[in-house]
Amino acid sequence: MSGFKQLDKLSGAAGATALLLLAAAPLVFPGTYLIGVLTVAAIYGIWAVSWDFMSGLTGRENFGHSLFIGVGAYAAGFLNVQMELGPWWSLPVSMLLAMGFAVLLGFPTLRLKGPYFALAMLSAAVIMQRLMLIFWEHTGGEEGIQDIAPLIRNHLHYYWFVLALLGVITFLLGWLARSRWGLILRAIRGDEATCLAAGIPITTYKIVSLVISAAFAGLGGALYAHYQLQVSPQLFAVVTSVTIITMVYVGGMGTIFGPVGGALLLTLLTEGLRNVGEWRLMVYSVLLILIIFFLPDGVIAPLWRRLRVAVGGKP
Amino acid sequence: MSEILLEVEGLDKRFGGLHAVKNVNMTIARGEIVGILGPNGAGKTTMFNLLTNFIAPDAGKVVFNGQSLRGVKPHKIVTLGVARTFQLCRPFVGLSVLENVLVGSLGPRVHHPDLGERAMQLLSQVGLAAKADTPAELLSYGDLRRLEIARALAAEPELLMLDEPFAGLGSSEIEAISALIRQLHAEKNLTILLIEHKLREFMQLVSRVIALDFGEVIAEGLPAEIVSNPRVIEAYIGKQDPVAVVS
Repeated sequence: MSGFKQLDKLSGAAGATALLLLAAAPLVFPGTYLIGVLTVAAIYGIWAVSWDFMSGLTGRENFGHSLFIGVGAYAAGFLNVQMELGPWWSLPVSMLLAMGFAVLLGFPTLRLKGPYFALAMLSAAVIMQRLMLIFWEHTGGEEGIQDIAPLIRNHLHYYWFVLALLGVITFLLGWLARSRWGLILRAIRGDEATCLAAGIPITTYKIVSLVISAAFAGLGGALYAHYQLQVSPQLFAVVTSVTIITMVYVGGMGTIFGPVGGALLLTLLTEGLRNVGEWRLMVYSVLLILIIFFLPDGVIAPLWRRLRVAVGGKP
Repeated sequence: MSEILLEVEGLDKRFGGLHAVKNVNMTIARGEIVGILGPNGAGKTTMFNLLTNFIAPDAGKVVFNGQSLRGVKPHKIVTLGVARTFQLCRPFVGLSVLENVLVGSLGPRVHHPDLGERAMQLLSQVGLAAKADTPAELLSYGDLRRLEIARALAAEPELLMLDEPFAGLGSSEIEAISALIRQLHAEKNLTILLIEHKLREFMQLVSRVIALDFGEVIAEGLPAEIVSNPRVIEAYIGKQDPVAVVS
């Protein structure tokens, strides 16, 4: 026996089926509206799963995930519009830049105890949003950067591309979470002092995990920029981080697959809530509070666990 | 005299006005079971934290296996072969019993082809094999102690430091843990340093005692010598008949 968790076949099969159904959905119900909603849902899926890998596993809630998203999106805008590079450059550069920010922020903030990491990350995101306005001559201020070229012109094909990336990233992070690495991250959530007593350099693990998390958040930011074809300082807004955290809580924190489900569910739900418009943040916040109080393990992951046991899978 | 494993010279620590550990000197030979004895607040746990660099000492020298531990980070000390437990059990909440032990073996010191198998062996050794899949937070206090010991052993230490292994346990559990410590010592020739203030079991377990009071070593010697040492008795209960202490 290896002692590490294995991916059970049932969950793997369910994930693959869900991915295929999502890919097929626009063929069954044609129309650009649905493709648009699903593309955004898949991008939120990437953001949620990247948040969950670091914050869900270690329990260090990052309230500034929007910073990495914004950095990735603006990187795409700068490269494509200001520097006139081809759109595909955005993907590697946005990842690297977001990783750089994660190193710079992780070193001082991940040594902090208690809620200070969350607060420091929140402040960093707010500062970045302000900086975008202060240096408006370079960043375009409130307007942001317009006329970004699409990565793939065909909307359906772009959706499939984003969906495939979501699948690959989720699989990769899911595999990491079940490895020795993931076990250490969950141990850090359990007790940091005991981790030290077990010979584990916790700060290194936390920083590297934040860097991995930031890389995919930045990638998602670039994908979003090339979908919206423009970026604005709103990307850095706290509401983006809160939305992602809500998705993770709905999905089931620390379960990797759950948050992807949470992101898909809530994005589709948001479309249904379109007419509440301005009230969206409040609806999300109330939802988050209710779930933290009444369903601390989330909705999707526990439901799946029950379903799996019901059909004879392992608990 | 057998080989010296741990050597402490002039160890000193102040917390503001409190002189928690005063100029402590001690040596521990390989294969010994040494107990640090002292009433509450005598500086025992602080000593442990100083030896493992969880707290940095103000002065003094700690040499383990010929290597100075000055400035070595706590997680690196485990890599050198010193593993510790905590007085208040601190399991990894949210992890299973097996995973808790597994984490103990994830440092760079342990090279084993099947860490899961090894973790199971350790669990059988401490008597927790049946509870391998139980979430650690559901264990009883006695089982948590066993889990702490198994987790520390997973790091393959040469020196095992147990911080009050009997704290909060009933007498039958104390006997069981005592037997476990003895067995580990016998089977692996493990060097063990333990802190305790429960006297009777402690005195039967250790081969040598270092008594602390107000951060200072007040006596050192065989258990029988320590229980009749007037300074130790005074530190514990004031001046009284020594028999009362051990009974």
